[in-house]
Amino acid sequence: MSQVLNIQNGKIVTIPEIATIEEIRDEIREVKTFYLSIDNKDIWNNFKYRSGQFVMCTIFGAGEFAVSLPPSPENDRFHITVRTVGRVTSALHALKPGDKVGLRGPFGNGFPFEEFKGKNLVYVAGGIGLIPLRSSIVHALQHKKDFGRVLMLHGARTPDDLMYKENLKEWQSFEGFETYITVDVPTPDWKGETGFVHTLFDKANLPVENTVAFVCGPPVMFNTVIGELMKRGLSDENIYSTLERHMKCGVGKCQHCAVGRTLVCTDGPVYTYRQIKTLGEEI
Amino acid sequence: MTMFLIKKADVGKIAQELGREYQVYGPMIEKGSGQTFFDRAEDVAEINLSAPIPSNPPKSVVFPQMERILSYEYDRTKNTVKMEPDYEVTPKALVGLRPCDLAGMLCLDRFFMGQEFVDEVYLNHRKKMFIVTNTCVTPFKQCFCVCTDSGPAAGEGYDLNLTDLGKEYLVEVGSEKGAALAAKLSLAPANDSHLALKKEKVDQSIAMFEDIAVDSKAWVSRVMNRVTTGFVKDDVWEYIGDQCFECGACTFVCPSCSCFNIADVNNTDCAGCADRLRTWDSCSYEGYSRMAGGHNPRKPVEDRRNKRFFCKLSYSQMKKYLRPGCVGCGRCAWVCPGDIGLPNVVTYVRREITG
Repeated sequence: MSQVLNIQNGKIVTIPEIATIEEIRDEIREVKTFYLSIDNKDIWNNFKYRSGQFVMCTIFGAGEFAVSLPPSPENDRFHITVRTVGRVTSALHALKPGDKVGLRGPFGNGFPFEEFKGKNLVYVAGGIGLIPLRSSIVHALQHKKDFGRVLMLHGARTPDDLMYKENLKEWQSFEGFETYITVDVPTPDWKGETGFVHTLFDKANLPVENTVAFVCGPPVMFNTVIGELMKRGLSDENIYSTLERHMKCGVGKCQHCAVGRTLVCTDGPVYTYRQIKTLGEEI
Repeated sequence: MTMFLIKKADVGKIAQELGREYQVYGPMIEKGSGQTFFDRAEDVAEINLSAPIPSNPPKSVVFPQMERILSYEYDRTKNTVKMEPDYEVTPKALVGLRPCDLAGMLCLDRFFMGQEFVDEVYLNHRKKMFIVTNTCVTPFKQCFCVCTDSGPAAGEGYDLNLTDLGKEYLVEVGSEKGAALAAKLSLAPANDSHLALKKEKVDQSIAMFEDIAVDSKAWVSRVMNRVTTGFVKDDVWEYIGDQCFECGACTFVCPSCSCFNIADVNNTDCAGCADRLRTWDSCSYEGYSRMAGGHNPRKPVEDRRNKRFFCKLSYSQMKKYLRPGCVGCGRCAWVCPGDIGLPNVVTYVRREITG
């Protein structure tokens, strides 16, 4: 087997690279963040990715799963944030710092950031939908001067379900970054907003002209938010989302992630709502 | 084009000669059942060039039903991992491949090796392969390759192509490897009159196709247009879905179906040893697109059936295969316990057009 082909277009394609878990942080119930680095220093130094791309993560003895990349492409510590949903993710949650995992990637198209210059950016995230948007948010804040208004609206079921609490605090005090946080079911000591995330649009004085929106969350929230954005006059080509599918290869061969005429792994995972509408499938 | 002749009695010499360098595969009639299978020939003399179309396509030679693509050993106490890619690279020769099956293999070639990423596992199987095709001078009952531009004669992609001219075979050379083999066998040269005879045989063959092929001929392209543009009504897909038993047989006998699953399986050889296995998968299975956590965006069976026919009959898939995804071998019609082999699906969609 030739070593040359395993890395194609700067991506680890066939054989996973061994990586070490450096640190594990608890986020919310069933969700943890794993800070990782690839052991092979040459490959690690050349490991570049874009906001919105994903990797395939191998848990030795259990299997492999696709997971989005929450860190910004630059000046951010590499990590993945994973919820226990099945056998392989549960095996990952059982690991401890120092343990080895495998990584392939990065795969997928990522957000076309060059097209967003000078525009207002609106992030709408429901629950763990914030994970795939985090990379793009941090990237936008690192280059705040390139964009107009930057807003984030994050809704969760309860205050305990709010993602990236440390980041949220940081972001709330970031100058020029407008953050709105709401929960569906408040606890007695919750002082913030209550209600679904789209109810904050008026309060946020949501921009419509020259604006790009990023929406990620459970299907119910997704449909409501998109409907509300369109009602306010945002066009479907300016609404972005990232799709999630069952994946095995990540490189367009196994076809498990086929949606309409596209494959989420190579044509996605980032789609505009205009594209999503033409796929003709459930989200 | 270089052409030669080989006597019928001598045609076995091709497989014999290939057997020195390659593992030889070909169509063989199984003694018990009388069925033809395309399989490894322990004895090359068993390869039967006049056998009916094999029940299975040659797909499993380049894309095995189950294959180990990686083995690794991990130690949780020492935190070490040893990884070993594990690809078999024995050169293989396929003798007596039908043109439809060759077309299927070309689909796989372009799909696995011709896109953004090269599938290294497939490449390893494919790069040391010798292909001898066999023109179909008599079509079989279920054949409809005339509708899908894949037969009855092969056009490209072979090293040698054989055509039964009656007393002898015409041998057409398609590659340098093929030319070298022909030279080794010191075959008699053929001329244009033999080529004309081949054309006659092919024309005769085309005239012998069953009604299903002749009736569908003009309709396959119309139906492809409908499927691509999405103008097939939901109730047609539901009618097709209702007949699906979700057995996956059509996808397994299809020369161009290549969906696979990957699973890490612990190996009992040692503690912490595991193999990464790649196995055939089928879009007709309910678990095909089910995600961890249980959400399944393609739960209804018609959504999944729709997907297979989209693969076989849409232009967007054609862009990957550079030809229609269906090669007209008719095996899906043969094995389907319902009645939704591809020719019938064409008929159902056509009924919608004609009313």
